[in-house]
Amino acid sequence: MYKSIIVRRGSGGWGGPLTLIPTAEKHKIVSITGGGIHPLALKIADMCGGEAIDGFSSAVPEAEILAVVIDCGGTARCGVYPKKKILTINVLPVGQSGALAKFMTPDLYVSDVKETTLDYADESSVQAALLQQEDVDAVHKRKDLKRKIDAARASQKRNIVTRIGITIGQVVNKFYAAGRETIDVTIKNILPFMAFVSMILGIINASGIGNFIAETISPAAGSLPGLLVISFVCAIPFISPILGPGAVIAQVVGTLVGAEIALGHIPVQYALPALFAIDAQVGADFVPVGLSLGEAEPETVELGVPAVLYSRVLTGPLAVLIAYAASIGMY
Amino acid sequence: METVAALANGFMALFKAGGETFTAFVTGIIPLIIVLMTAVNSLIKLIGEERFYKLAKKATRYTLTRYTVVPVLAIIFMGSPMCFTFGQFVEEKYKPAFYDAAVSFVHPVTGLFPHANGSELFVYMGIAAGVQAMGYELGELAVRYFLVGLVVILLRGIITEKIYLYLRARDGRQETKEAGHV
Repeated sequence: MYKSIIVRRGSGGWGGPLTLIPTAEKHKIVSITGGGIHPLALKIADMCGGEAIDGFSSAVPEAEILAVVIDCGGTARCGVYPKKKILTINVLPVGQSGALAKFMTPDLYVSDVKETTLDYADESSVQAALLQQEDVDAVHKRKDLKRKIDAARASQKRNIVTRIGITIGQVVNKFYAAGRETIDVTIKNILPFMAFVSMILGIINASGIGNFIAETISPAAGSLPGLLVISFVCAIPFISPILGPGAVIAQVVGTLVGAEIALGHIPVQYALPALFAIDAQVGADFVPVGLSLGEAEPETVELGVPAVLYSRVLTGPLAVLIAYAASIGMY
Repeated sequence: METVAALANGFMALFKAGGETFTAFVTGIIPLIIVLMTAVNSLIKLIGEERFYKLAKKATRYTLTRYTVVPVLAIIFMGSPMCFTFGQFVEEKYKPAFYDAAVSFVHPVTGLFPHANGSELFVYMGIAAGVQAMGYELGELAVRYFLVGLVVILLRGIITEKIYLYLRARDGRQETKEAGHV
């Protein structure tokens, strides 16, 4: 027996509430959280009578997905599913952010969700949710019509002056849009990370933790065998998906290695191999999502995930060796 | 009283150091990135994604270009994570290898084209900041990071492709699929 439930945002969350209406064709709760099925996905599936599935080990056709449960810190995944119009439940308190922020709308996305913010839906809210879906369809139709009218207008003949004017207008508009996009990314993604990194670096430099790091990590990052070990550890198939999300760990480690290079504890010629050593896990957490963006079949995802993870054990250290060879003669 | 004041000063010193780092980031890195990103974004909008689609679709046929030219163009034109949608033009059996090649380039690309992955700049920039502090120019590091990245994604593509095909053959899926086609 399927039951509709309401998913509300938690105290630090954003978006929602979402109404999940399971049906026989569409009742799967896909957990894309790296490392098994998230308890919240189990709870939701249990409440609505659906089925919780580990999106990492098996892929589900999009038409069968009722909602996805993610633990995205705010870079990529949180926008991927809303873009596909799939209801997205984030267990972390993340608002509209990342490269696909514009697709994250309150009717598709809700964050900081906990078991306590789930509720059974009553009849009226189910009706409202169904109505809203119809509304969305109607809006799409209206947009379609508008596009057709615009296209019809555009095909009318214009004189040369008007055409030049329109072309210039379009070009300027593109420049302006490019500028706006850049500022958006700077404010939403780059500046917050700089604030976070500055705080960590400040504390490390002023508190003396820096000396500790210099004595323990620097020797490892300042020699070829050390870098090979780092890349191998990052690439171990059950560690790499954990290190991946948002490249946060790679970015923090990169900043620490940079700070040690600046202090002269790590020789500057190790910069290039270090870039590859700390990044052997890149995207290991994102394989199922990346493959489904490429419209891969579910069977491809199932074997594709281990193929990529195993490959990294080999290619992680290999990349460090290539980079080491390529850094000869630099600086 | 003096101890309390000393404690407070020490506490503030922690964050003052952070504040100085932040100012250095904002004045040293942001202006260049904003202008560069705007320029590249404008160029992409002017060229248009359709033209790039046509070129890249052809290039998916050959191993050499499938794991170099295609992912690099996809990342520069579409950025992360939309670049992975380009997998739809790649043959099914090459999709995992294509993903591996593409995702492995999302950081090497940032040295020269920071717009492509604005939220993960600090893998490169963290280390680059150290190199810069030692008084070296960053151009060489950025170019070499890009070029070594190309070699690495090609190897990753080839190796992951072999591993995937091996896993698939062992799983016996290939036969059932072919049988289904007949």
